[in-house]
Amino acid sequence: MTTAVTTAGPKIAPVPPEPPPAEPNYLNVSYSLWSWLTTVDHKRIGLLYLISISVFFVAGGVAAGVVRLNLLSPDGAFVNEDTYNRAFTGHGVLMLFFFLIPAVPGVLGNFLIPMMIGAKDLAFPKLNLASWYVFMVGAGFGVWALLAGGIDTGWTLYPPYSSRSSTSNVIPGVFGVFISGFSSIMTGLNIMVTVHKMRAPGMTWGRLPLFVWSLYATSLIQLLGTPVVAITTVLLMVERVAGIGIFDPMIGGDPVLFQHLFWFYSHPAVYIMILPGMGVISEVLTCFSRKNIFGYHAVAWSSMGIAVVGFLLWAHHMFVAGISFYSALLFSFLSMLVAVPSAIKVFNWTGTLYRGSITFQAPMLFGLGFVVLFVIGGLTGLFLATLGTDIHLHDTYFVVAHFHFVMVGGMVLGYMAGIHFWWPKMFGVMYSDWWSRVAAAIIIVGFFLTFVPQFVLGYHGMPRRYPNYPAEFQVYNVMSTAGASILGLGYLLPAFYLPLSLVFGKKAGANPWSATGLEWVSPSPPPLFNFDEANMPVVVCGPYEYALGVDQLGRGLPPGPGLGEANDPASKSEAPAAPGPMKKETEVVG
Amino acid sequence: MANPHTTPATATPPAAGHDTHGGHGVIGHVDSPGLLFVVFLVVIGLFAANVAMSTSGALGKYTLFAQLAIGAVQATFVGLYFMHLRHGDKVVVLTALASVFWMGILFVLFMSDYMTRNRVMG
Repeated sequence: MTTAVTTAGPKIAPVPPEPPPAEPNYLNVSYSLWSWLTTVDHKRIGLLYLISISVFFVAGGVAAGVVRLNLLSPDGAFVNEDTYNRAFTGHGVLMLFFFLIPAVPGVLGNFLIPMMIGAKDLAFPKLNLASWYVFMVGAGFGVWALLAGGIDTGWTLYPPYSSRSSTSNVIPGVFGVFISGFSSIMTGLNIMVTVHKMRAPGMTWGRLPLFVWSLYATSLIQLLGTPVVAITTVLLMVERVAGIGIFDPMIGGDPVLFQHLFWFYSHPAVYIMILPGMGVISEVLTCFSRKNIFGYHAVAWSSMGIAVVGFLLWAHHMFVAGISFYSALLFSFLSMLVAVPSAIKVFNWTGTLYRGSITFQAPMLFGLGFVVLFVIGGLTGLFLATLGTDIHLHDTYFVVAHFHFVMVGGMVLGYMAGIHFWWPKMFGVMYSDWWSRVAAAIIIVGFFLTFVPQFVLGYHGMPRRYPNYPAEFQVYNVMSTAGASILGLGYLLPAFYLPLSLVFGKKAGANPWSATGLEWVSPSPPPLFNFDEANMPVVVCGPYEYALGVDQLGRGLPPGPGLGEANDPASKSEAPAAPGPMKKETEVVG
Repeated sequence: MANPHTTPATATPPAAGHDTHGGHGVIGHVDSPGLLFVVFLVVIGLFAANVAMSTSGALGKYTLFAQLAIGAVQATFVGLYFMHLRHGDKVVVLTALASVFWMGILFVLFMSDYMTRNRVMG
């Protein structure tokens, strides 16, 4: 159903009273370590993931710091070349496999998916806990590899170097990746089944929040892609341990075969990382612009489009690896296709912001940063998808900059936006508004200063992963390292004000942002099974009815912080219609 | 801690014999252990045949095709018996077929490289 509404409408539903605090809630129902390590509560498991991946994020960040500091000098500032190789590999492996992939599905997906669809838990609570343990076992092998001296192959693990020549700790590192993949599969399976089977009455597919759609698409990739890389890593280990020729041409193997199999997963894995961030952004932009999402179905289906098309273009990583010209042409064309659903999202987000009552709390700042940086990251991806320019730019810092614009500028900012958006729900407290805005600004500025110079470096031919470079590149490297320092400072701030908020933060109400989703119906922090047992939610409308000023239960929205009645769309009945051609502000979906 | 939402309100006692349904709507113990053991032996036997074929080279240029065929039969046995696709409903079977289709994408695009690598443009 599509219904045109305007900003000048009657207040259609009263604001419900603030629900009493849940006693007990999921945080204080028990305190022992054992109760946390054996919990099957999706919210607690989400927090277990939060703690784990935060540790790996810090470790990966330290490795990045070593890389950037060493590049201050053309001849390497303070570590030797072998240590440098291990530092950038450690950074890649930790950040990709143990932070970016589990970040949003593991933390926010676990915590929020059941709440958003009106369920008490995920479909398989014990499998959910098992997924965290499997993740930690995999991470344990990864840590073993790092503590034993690290890996020097790069996170892509290309043979024959990784299978024949490298003397570093390839086996435990690869085994850790192999094991953690199962965790990813378990989480994807759990989310998929939950969305299919456990939606509340009235929660039709057309009323699912876009965060749920994006995690559903992510789960599809996890289920279909991860087994391929799992088998690929097994084959790599078999070749390295037993000398059976699979990828090494010296013993009858084909190294390009590894690249095909590796990228069949690892390119879609980029979408495992970015799609959940896109889901977060859809929630944040609507809330802080007080607008219904522009083009709900287009955004929802573009997530599925990215998931499907993302599987068809892996070989653009291999244009100079010796694949056939015909195949390269095909993959170049297919690579262009993924720009379509990505652009659909960006245009619809922009349409959502248009004429919105925008406020700039930290989640919104991170969200806007995501959109800008993702656009730059996406457009520079087209340079790399084009055969001719890729030959010039392949394996240069241009690729590094592009990838970080998408992964850090996109995914990490999306994750930060999500953490800041749902932190009051997760812990029942508000963090420092001022410091969080400062952190968002510092991170965005630091990010630009870090990675824009790398585009220039790459365009002028500086290869990635090299510890040394010509002296004329030093100024850009110094700029990049200075930016990384600012970026690091920006990341440090949330590490202080978020934990401090647990002690000193003001109590948060059930719906501090005046948002529309079902997760905001429960008290903050939520009770053990999310919703009042006697009053399970019945959904009556779509997920973003900001124009009508109602949540998914059809109840009025409380005023958000700093917004007051003036920014409550439902209270604008007396306001004169805004000038301009756009009277139909939004649509009602579902 | 128990989760009432995922715990069935009324537990259905498993019926004797085949096609029992568990509380989660999952079909359990549909095949006898004996049958599964026989299938296991068949799969292992095919594995041995595959290994023997790779070392003997008796089929010459057809060895690869024969080995792939054996692998396909093994996968079919695993799917039908160990993954219970024989008793799966349409959605489950469709899901399994979708994954095969997905693997087809891998093979087709993959072969677009290998089968054209030696062709010269122009």
